[in-house]
Amino acid sequence: MMGLTRRNLLKGAAATAATAGLGFPLIGRAVPKARVVVVGGGYGGAIAAKYLHMADPEIRVTLIEKNPYYVSCPLSNEVLSGERDVASLTFNYRGLTRRGINVMQDEIVEVDPEQRFVRGSSGNRYNYDRLIISPGVDYRWDAIDGMSEKVAEQIPHAWKAGPQTLTLRKQLEAMDDGGVFAIVAPPNPFRCPPGPYERAAQVALYFSHHKPKSKILIYDSKDAFSKQGLFQAGWKEHYGDMIEWVSGANGGIIEGIDPGNRQLIGEVDEYPADVINLIPHQRAGALAQIADLADDSGWCPVDQRNFESSLKPNIHVIGDACIAGAMPKSGYAANSQGKVCAAAVAAALNGETSPAPSYVNTCYSIIAPDHGISVAGVYELKDGQIVSVPGAGGLSPADADARTKAVEVQFALGWFANITSDMFT
Amino acid sequence: MNPSSSWHAPEVYRPGLDGPRMLFAACVLMVAASQPSLASDVRSASMLANTCAGCHGTDGASAGEYMPTIGGLNKDYLSEVLVDYKTGLRSSTIMGRIMRGYSDQEIRAIADFYANQPWVSNDRIADASLIHAGAQLHEELCVSCHEDGGRAQDDDSPRLAGQWAEYTNYALENCRAEGRGCSPRKMGQRVMNLSDEDLASLSRYYEGEK
Repeated sequence: MMGLTRRNLLKGAAATAATAGLGFPLIGRAVPKARVVVVGGGYGGAIAAKYLHMADPEIRVTLIEKNPYYVSCPLSNEVLSGERDVASLTFNYRGLTRRGINVMQDEIVEVDPEQRFVRGSSGNRYNYDRLIISPGVDYRWDAIDGMSEKVAEQIPHAWKAGPQTLTLRKQLEAMDDGGVFAIVAPPNPFRCPPGPYERAAQVALYFSHHKPKSKILIYDSKDAFSKQGLFQAGWKEHYGDMIEWVSGANGGIIEGIDPGNRQLIGEVDEYPADVINLIPHQRAGALAQIADLADDSGWCPVDQRNFESSLKPNIHVIGDACIAGAMPKSGYAANSQGKVCAAAVAAALNGETSPAPSYVNTCYSIIAPDHGISVAGVYELKDGQIVSVPGAGGLSPADADARTKAVEVQFALGWFANITSDMFT
Repeated sequence: MNPSSSWHAPEVYRPGLDGPRMLFAACVLMVAASQPSLASDVRSASMLANTCAGCHGTDGASAGEYMPTIGGLNKDYLSEVLVDYKTGLRSSTIMGRIMRGYSDQEIRAIADFYANQPWVSNDRIADASLIHAGAQLHEELCVSCHEDGGRAQDDDSPRLAGQWAEYTNYALENCRAEGRGCSPRKMGQRVMNLSDEDLASLSRYYEGEK
């Protein structure tokens, strides 16, 4: 580790000397202890970069993100109901640059784990001693017949917040009262396990005010889902029979789509709909696939103590892309993993072993403007696996009173204000 | 309420957050690093405490109105409250579920970490018309424990000055609902007969004291 750092430094010194034609050593310049490149500026990567810089300011941290802004997936279902606009979910990276983190806009297209560099589509090469990637999810288009990235422009998944969220909102606005909105929920594992079901509630909120004769059908590959009892009770309480969930066992498994006729093709039947939101099968983000960090499952195996890849040394994978034991693929999990990873990388670059980790997940869903629900998890490492601490965590109580349901919405909004402030200030 | 109107992009840079915290984080690392003989499964204070920041803000300086700022609160006060969440003595929506994941020793480490962070008051501008009545109630009912406009604190009395009014109001409502069952009991006795308007103006008063 230190040998490579020194080699990189010497190379840098040689280059400087050659350019300047002078033999001055780098006296008086801040020489970084080590270089860490973080790729992906979302819930995992932004946190890893910030907390690594906080843990050891002598490490030079470069955060590389392909977009100039970040649009949050959490709370983006509220754009579909009209409760919120995309601007309220959009953040920039200036808070991180002010801290002294080098933020670059570039799309990484090459990873060289032997020579330890990544290269951007810009042509820029970024050398690293340790690489942290937080690439999010990618889609398995071939899992559903007739589906493709191109088709998704007309049949939006809206599973990464941004233009597709607005496309779906416009389609819902254009739909006639009495129409059918179909959500296709993917099989496990996938980003944001409660997301499809919160989405159904948020669209029902919009329909209940503007298109009350409409129906929402959720075609699911699964026979159970996150916060199921709380969602089903909340749907009923606020939206009556508007939302219908079709489990995998009851014909919910979708095998194909006829986008021209807006028709879903199930195992046993065909289902027409006026607006379709097909959330595709998922796998680790494209960068993980480019760098061969994923196994046959499509996700990235890691040492769950420090998130170092089991397949490539000195590369850490955090967030939705990694296999993290009992933790769900959520924004808060990525935040927590980013901090554990940052502490481990700082330790490694200081010649220490990874510190004992601690992980948390909290996740809120908003069923109605006065009805929020939550799930929490506290995790520890046991025999190399992230497991739930027995007796901790769990769901909002099913018999919560009206005040508790209402304050959980306020806590959801406070959660959002703080987790994004944790990332971007 | 309309979430988009109450929500602000967290662009404001708060320089008060930087130096001491970094030093502290570095110290924690150095202490951990200089004692490799410690059992490697003992989790450090920063490792435990950083998991709270996703909901309570970096180093406990909250950016969300219903989430209390916890950085800079009294260590013994924090420790007791967190243990009370764990045992259920203090009611909660989610804190009990989370605190049951930690030993009392770990809870003390978390409390110690946040007690060592600088207090950062919320940055909202006070509306004088909302706080006038609160100032009078404070003098009448609260000042004996919450001295100096709620800036003072000890192991029984948290700092209130500069805390988000929405959170303080929520905590006061909880205490009022519990009446004499509120812990500490004297809090319950003093707030159990206050109106919604009283609680709101008290909360706004403390928020404005910074």
